[in-house]
Amino acid sequence: MARSIGFNLLQVLFVVALAPLVSGVLARLKEVVQSRRGPSIFQPYRDLRKFFSKDEIVSEQASWIFRVTPYVVFVAPIFVTTLIPVLTSYPLFFAFMGDMLGGGFVLALGGFFATLAAVDTANPYGPMGASRTRMVGFLAEPVFMIVFFTVSFIAGSTIPYIVQEHWITLSEFFAPSHVLLVIAFVMLILAEAGRIPVDNPTGHFELAMIDESKSLEYSGTGMALMKWGGYMKLLVLMCILLNVLVSPWGLAQRQSVGDVLLAVPLVLFKIGLFVLVLVVIESSLSKLRLFRVSEFLGAAFVTSVVAMITGLLRF
Amino acid sequence: MNALMPVLASLNGLAAGVFLLSAFGLLATRQMQGCVRFFRLQSLALVASIALIAVGLRVPDLLAVALLDLAIKPLLIPWLLRRYVREELFRRREIDQVLNIPSSLLIALALTIIAYFVAVILPPAAGLMGAINVPIGLAGLLLGAFTLAVRREAVPQLIGIFAIENGSLFAGIAIAPRLPLVAEMVFPFDMLIIALVIGILTRITQERVGTTEVGALRSLREGGAE
Amino acid sequence: MTLFVILALPLVAALVSWLPMGRRVAPSATFLAAVGAVVLSGRAALTVAAGGQVIGVAEWLELDGLGALVLLLVAIVATTAALFSVGYVAREEDSRHLRRYYSNYNLFVFATLAVPMLVEPALVWTAVELTTIFGIYLVAFDNTPEAVEAAWKYSILTIMGGAMALLGFIVLFRATRFGDAPFTWAGLIKLAPRVPSGVLEASFLLILVGFGAKVGLVPLHTWLPDAHSQAPSPVCALLSGVKTTVVLCVILRMLPVLNASGRVDVDRWAVVVGLISVGIAAFLILQVTDYKRLFAFSTVEHMGIILTAAGLGGAAAHYGAVYQIVNHSLTKSFCFFAAGTTLLAVDTRQIADIRGLIRTSPVAGTALLFGGIAIAGAPPLAVFLSEFSILRSGIAGQHYVAVGLLAAFIVVAFFGILHHLNRMTFGRPEPAMDGGVPVKLPLSSILTLIIAAAPILILGVYMPAPLHRLLKMAAEGLAK
Repeated sequence: MARSIGFNLLQVLFVVALAPLVSGVLARLKEVVQSRRGPSIFQPYRDLRKFFSKDEIVSEQASWIFRVTPYVVFVAPIFVTTLIPVLTSYPLFFAFMGDMLGGGFVLALGGFFATLAAVDTANPYGPMGASRTRMVGFLAEPVFMIVFFTVSFIAGSTIPYIVQEHWITLSEFFAPSHVLLVIAFVMLILAEAGRIPVDNPTGHFELAMIDESKSLEYSGTGMALMKWGGYMKLLVLMCILLNVLVSPWGLAQRQSVGDVLLAVPLVLFKIGLFVLVLVVIESSLSKLRLFRVSEFLGAAFVTSVVAMITGLLRF
Repeated sequence: MNALMPVLASLNGLAAGVFLLSAFGLLATRQMQGCVRFFRLQSLALVASIALIAVGLRVPDLLAVALLDLAIKPLLIPWLLRRYVREELFRRREIDQVLNIPSSLLIALALTIIAYFVAVILPPAAGLMGAINVPIGLAGLLLGAFTLAVRREAVPQLIGIFAIENGSLFAGIAIAPRLPLVAEMVFPFDMLIIALVIGILTRITQERVGTTEVGALRSLREGGAE
Repeated sequence: MTLFVILALPLVAALVSWLPMGRRVAPSATFLAAVGAVVLSGRAALTVAAGGQVIGVAEWLELDGLGALVLLLVAIVATTAALFSVGYVAREEDSRHLRRYYSNYNLFVFATLAVPMLVEPALVWTAVELTTIFGIYLVAFDNTPEAVEAAWKYSILTIMGGAMALLGFIVLFRATRFGDAPFTWAGLIKLAPRVPSGVLEASFLLILVGFGAKVGLVPLHTWLPDAHSQAPSPVCALLSGVKTTVVLCVILRMLPVLNASGRVDVDRWAVVVGLISVGIAAFLILQVTDYKRLFAFSTVEHMGIILTAAGLGGAAAHYGAVYQIVNHSLTKSFCFFAAGTTLLAVDTRQIADIRGLIRTSPVAGTALLFGGIAIAGAPPLAVFLSEFSILRSGIAGQHYVAVGLLAAFIVVAFFGILHHLNRMTFGRPEPAMDGGVPVKLPLSSILTLIIAAAPILILGVYMPAPLHRLLKMAAEGLAK
């Protein structure tokens, strides 16, 4: 039991420590693809250190929500990490505390607080971005629901650890519902994490921001926590995709420390492959106009429903 | 039976998934080029499925059909369209349509579900291998017809017709994998001729009527324009 | 052997027409080929009526009663239309365009002649698709924006129908797995009892919807008035008179197959679909503004009548259905010749613009009036007899509702046609002729009108014995 708790903490440490690295690699690769040098892959760490050492300025109009939000945004992905398989394929101590729907709700909680905080400061750009974030969020909800529902139905359980064992055989892997689910979830990641084609993560133009606007007003520790929370959310979504939906390859199968430590580079490798895919997607598409986002998410919805149909109506 | 059957069956399922997805893509895309690209993807999925069924059921005739389809549908037909329909039509980005995209996607979803329920009547001859072909082929057929109804431009309407034929064939190879070779060969040639003829007709339409927004042509109605 | 020659004649004529050999060669070659086809098909029909067999390639090209009858009809209408084309199309100045017309015409006739001969359903589908494709150029011949629009609608809707019917035929092929008969219409009838009803139902539905679009059954009929009014009149005669008929016969051949399986109630569907077409067409006739569209809607109506008659079941109703097929083809082609003559005389298609036609051009006026009366079903002309026999057999079979509706719709259409024609033919002449000099109509048109009118008059009062035998055989072919 102690070992299981230890592995759980190891997973959390993995996510907390390596999330900025993943984002750094992603940013660097995007620049390299465009024939530029790009920032170092450790740049996010340096940014975080810089923010932690700065003073924090809080508007007088802001309420307690503004102060609490960075902590909520930081903790929510950590909480979800304890629920999903990051390094191991067998359930750990906290695994049965909540299932996939619960994890989804917790992530949404973080987004909810971020939206409220953006409205809290009376900065004109905050609410604008917040309403857009809400629009994207509410359009993405049905896709989440259908993906989770289909996956649970096919695998027979809603606990992520049990679901991911389902895709081991080759015939299940290539089943049309599986492929379509993965495609739908990738589109969902693009929407939720605020990447192209839904939103430009490197943009500084406030009138066009969707996701970045939540951290406009923050400074110092608050900013650091918001940013770190953002990196972790992306990593958590990737882990859900890769470890639960795609394939359990690379996860530790046995209960030994060595296996779990071995899983770290393997999972990183899997994440690296997905980062490559992300880079290709981001470099080849352009940002959609705002009202086209509903079409994009509509297509994701349709893909997930088709996955549901082909998965459930089997002959 | 073939030892590779389960793997082939699941790869066939993958092809079916791509087929259906490209049928939806035909509805969801706004660009003329996008339409042609999704049609190409759909034809490739069709060819893959034909080849897989040919290998799985050991029907060598079907391999010949697959090769012929590969030559004609993804390659020749888009080339023909480029050649006969004027270049500027392809540069046009926005396709005019009767319904907006999210609504048409939802209706397409309903059509797919209908196809699944209708497909129960038609048991596939290819057994487990082709079990997924029949409903998805029927769905492709219905979605092609819907694309035809919803689009107002000449080239997407034509692609809608080809999508209907793709769907028919996709279901057909599972229902009757041993159709006489003569008949199987005819179908892709037929599509070739249709592409040729309609390409020319499109050019004439462009010249005579001034636009290829054929859905807006209403002069022949009883109460319509002069 | 005969069948191959019949098919070869229009192909040769197509080739000859395509070569640049002067303006006279193409029309003459077409006409001669058509005459040759008539003679040979007549002989084949007589052979079949006498009980003989005409086989080209066993299991692919064979003639039975229905096939021989339709083949003869196609050949006859092809000949009269070719004769009419001589004068009508001669107005076209560009000889290349003219030659392309004739070569397409011959290719179209070739494909249409092939359909009744073929007994292998996959080949039948191919031939039907070919007729559609070859017809596209003919419909767009005038090259006006309306003609091109009509050709576009025609091609899209009919090709879509063909694509749907494709799946229907593939499903039909499934039936051969259940027995040992070849994949022909006769073979399918033998296999039918053992085939699961779902397969037959599905294939019939797909073929009905798909080919129904080509025939002009409601609700996929929207292309028909446009195409059949914008095409040149001889082409309209071919399209309305034989192409729709030929495709309808393919649908009709499915009926005995489904009836043989004993488990499917296809007759009721046929009656319902037929009645819907008749009804809607009849009411649409009331509000036409263009006299060629009038005849086109009448085609939709008659296709519905034939389908209903075939669905009513029983030897008498089937006899009525095939009789109606014959009479409709001959009468409708005459109507379009009359319409073409009228167009030559007054140069407008609008009903509202024409008055006193009988004074402006006696030939056109008389022909139009005669054609309209004939197609509406007035005695003592051919169509009246066939419609009457259908109604009578329906009453004898106790299908009172269907017969009542059918009769009502026929009356509505009758009224509509005559109302429009009445306005056009009598009264003060309009549009005023320039200088009062009537337009000189080409000799070939007048000749065609006379030749085409003859069977309508004759068949209204007298039925030649071989024809009667052929009709009976064709009806039996529907009934098994």
